[in-house]
Amino acid sequence: MKRAQLARERLDGHPWTPYLFAAPVGIYLLLFQFYPLIQQFYMSFTATDLLTPTVNPFVGMENYSFLIEDGELWKVLSVTAIYTVACVVFAIGVGLGSALLLDSPFIGRSLARALITIPWAAPSVAVALIFTWIFNSQYGIFNRALTELGLQLGGENWLDNASLALPAILLTTVWQIFPFSSVVILAALQGVPQELKEAAVIDGADRLNIFKTATWPTIQPTVLMLTLFVTIWSLRRFDLIWLMTQGGPIGATNTMVIELYRQGFVYRDLGTAASIGMIGLSIALLVTVIYFKVTQMTEQAQGKR
Amino acid sequence: MRTSRQLEHMRVLAVLLMLGFAAFPIYWMFVTSMTPSSELFASSPRLLPAWSQLSIYAEIFNTIPVATWLKNSFLVAAGTTVLSILLAVFPAYALSRFRFAGLAVLGFALFATQMLPEAMLVVPLYSIFGDLNLLNTIPGLVLANTAFVVPVITWIIKGAIDSIPFEIEEAARVDGCSRLDIVLGIVIPLVAPTLAAAAVISFFHGWNEYVFAQTLVSSENLRTASVGLASFVGELSTPIHSVMAVGVIYTLPAIIFYLFAQRYVVAGMTAGSVKG
Amino acid sequence: MRRTVNRLMAAAIAVGLAPWWAAPAFAKDKITFAAAVFAEAGRGDRVKAWIESYNQSQTGVEVEPIAIPFSSLANTVFTQMGGGGGPDLIRLDQTDFFAAIPSGRLLPLGDVINDKDYPFLGPDRFMKVKDVRYGLLFDTTGYALLYNKDILPQPPKDFESFLAAAREKTRDGTFGYAYRATMAERAGFWQDLCNYVFGFGGRWSDKDGNLTLNSPDVIKGVAAYKKVYDAGVTPKGADAATYRRMFWEGKIAMNVDNGGVAAIFNRNAPQLPFAAAPSPFPDKAQGLIMTALVVNANTKHKDAAGAFIKWAYAPENQKTLQAAMGTSVGTRLDMSPEEQAKQPWLRVYEEQMQNALPQLVMGHEDKTPEIQQIVLEQVLKVLLENADPKDAMDRAQSLVERRVLR
Repeated sequence: MKRAQLARERLDGHPWTPYLFAAPVGIYLLLFQFYPLIQQFYMSFTATDLLTPTVNPFVGMENYSFLIEDGELWKVLSVTAIYTVACVVFAIGVGLGSALLLDSPFIGRSLARALITIPWAAPSVAVALIFTWIFNSQYGIFNRALTELGLQLGGENWLDNASLALPAILLTTVWQIFPFSSVVILAALQGVPQELKEAAVIDGADRLNIFKTATWPTIQPTVLMLTLFVTIWSLRRFDLIWLMTQGGPIGATNTMVIELYRQGFVYRDLGTAASIGMIGLSIALLVTVIYFKVTQMTEQAQGKR
Repeated sequence: MRTSRQLEHMRVLAVLLMLGFAAFPIYWMFVTSMTPSSELFASSPRLLPAWSQLSIYAEIFNTIPVATWLKNSFLVAAGTTVLSILLAVFPAYALSRFRFAGLAVLGFALFATQMLPEAMLVVPLYSIFGDLNLLNTIPGLVLANTAFVVPVITWIIKGAIDSIPFEIEEAARVDGCSRLDIVLGIVIPLVAPTLAAAAVISFFHGWNEYVFAQTLVSSENLRTASVGLASFVGELSTPIHSVMAVGVIYTLPAIIFYLFAQRYVVAGMTAGSVKG
Repeated sequence: MRRTVNRLMAAAIAVGLAPWWAAPAFAKDKITFAAAVFAEAGRGDRVKAWIESYNQSQTGVEVEPIAIPFSSLANTVFTQMGGGGGPDLIRLDQTDFFAAIPSGRLLPLGDVINDKDYPFLGPDRFMKVKDVRYGLLFDTTGYALLYNKDILPQPPKDFESFLAAAREKTRDGTFGYAYRATMAERAGFWQDLCNYVFGFGGRWSDKDGNLTLNSPDVIKGVAAYKKVYDAGVTPKGADAATYRRMFWEGKIAMNVDNGGVAAIFNRNAPQLPFAAAPSPFPDKAQGLIMTALVVNANTKHKDAAGAFIKWAYAPENQKTLQAAMGTSVGTRLDMSPEEQAKQPWLRVYEEQMQNALPQLVMGHEDKTPEIQQIVLEQVLKVLLENADPKDAMDRAQSLVERRVLR
């Protein structure tokens, strides 16, 4: 049915119409994204200094082979993987939990829905500064609260401790990005049939079951899409980590983008930075392809299309 | 067996915990900005703001060009919002309604741009912007930020257009409306809530952005709030009260903006619900 | 080639858009001056006022100060310079200054200023490479032990008594000492480490520029750093901005820091009874802070920049700058006895300057940031994971040889 209509549309409309519609964004992306990207691709085969980016002696695969032989890259990759997976799990988990809470009616719900987005509105630079202060080992409220609660972790240098820095950065990241997942999932929850929600309220015992049979299938495509976005955004997150730890201590929070930035802007080695960028881009592309394959397979399994 | 009353209590508790988690750091920023210097390092923390210190806010507006920073951030955020939506509506419509050679390419290209970190783009963009005379201008920052925003909101708007029944457009076409008329006259009003949601996403991004704002603009009177705030971190000392106070001043407008837009956001995301 | 493509792409858009926001022409020759110090509490406003007094003094040139955070000054300015732009004048830290020289992005200043006319301070010799002057010494200072006389009436003379005093004074929310040990403060961590390494007789390289990262004296310095760390006498996790504030709030007994910090203590807490003494290390050598005033080779206002420089290095203006910075500036100035009496620590810093060494890996000046990163990571392994200082520095040496000198 839809396909037939589309076919007719194509006959009706001028054949150039879709291209005209896509042209502004196409030109824009070509100029400001793909053209720089091609430059970076070329640069990854050169030895280029930040101060003289137009002088690019060609060095072939040297930057790549250095990264692979050096071994530091593997640590960077594993930190990036842990950070990204944890971001996805926690940001979407907390987002889902809060969305479910905010979906059920209660007094002051619209105020609560507004308040929960505060972290999303908070600028990264401000977030980094306040969380650094909160995590301060001597005067930070976080450690003081933990000590009050009698927990052993109180008094630790969260951001200076090789095993606690990544959790601290994660907590900050999740705080900042969970509202976005919450709002998106909340929107998707509006599509769950009302009768089922009412049934859930009446029959408290079967909540989990109803979530599985009614709610989840409705919101699943949204959650999957969100997973992809959060994954890609986590792979490229920079400000927060750079301002809080610069990738330290001992590389504990050194993600690919942080390493890229250090190579390019601290060591002024744009060639190595570009090759890290290319490796990162390939990973992100791989994740996207896997994502589309997975969605295709689930859709086929569910008999859609 | 838990009664529904108990469940209700648990839910209230959960909501309060969640709101506390979300709001506390901003509250703490406010408290810190108003904690007297001598109490910052006291053995037990001050949990409530010292209202007598409120004058620090007046002092900041008098001594630091915060108003200019906020104005610039607002211009960047508003510009990014307008340009992103202008750029996103038409390809969103094309992705939703047309089948054409290059459809997959466009869709994929939109995704691919999400993967490019600012740190990687900033060097080539600097030289492109230099040639375009866009360095040290607000429009330059708008153009740079839009790149990140357009792909996300194109997908959201496409989702919303997908859910518009086809017959509505059909009727208009029979009446002889052009494609452009349809998009402007019918589709845009129908997806208005989704555009509001898209506006929030773009606005927040433009308001927050740091790397481009730091590098592509050098003049102090074009400085945005993110760069202004970071510039407090001095070589030898950082004025913590001013930093926290400016942090509060910088965060509040975004929250207020959201409060105005929020009723549309959930509705808009629902229509556009980010679908694959 | 790329430039041509850029221009072609540019033309299409520029024709339509550019005139709308083209900058209006200024009657004055307007130049920009980027530095991290402008943003700093206690000094920034006074240095900006100094520049403003230049703007008021004549009608030809207007200098606009631009504050860029210390941690992102080099990467921001270098990106801009690489792209053909950037501020006209820049105050660069020593590491960044040496990094920028080989690229040819710094304007040689031999024809702007005649050396013989100015009584430059000793460290000015670092501003020339192979007899070409690439910068002018803007401000410079050494390191000394600053101590709060209320907490500690007499300064310790050697490392053991220093550690004992720090232990004794750490109680009831007061700390005996403070320094940096985090990657988030990479530059400052390096400065503090240099004091310990130099103070125990270590050097990063020998006279021929061979790396000596794992020489016994360097290892002694690293071990001392660790000893202080383990003594629990520092507010761990407090960044320098925080612990300096704590110092002037009376919560820290001792701090080995530079002369600029002494000035900040004095500005923010005029009543604070602090004094300076030589650092309590066996070797007199300590780190040397120096910044360079440079002219961006991309500048279109070379004459205006030169005019400002000539004004800035005139004796009376040097005097005002010195008062604003609270440290030594580029040239030698005589201080009146009243000024000396008001700021008695200045004499200690002046004496310390004779033993001061740049915080650079000499012979590998332009590679210092990478060497710094590797050394600091290994030192952190010593501090946080109790790695053996010798093993760690051996590893640093081999990592630098493999990664940096490739």
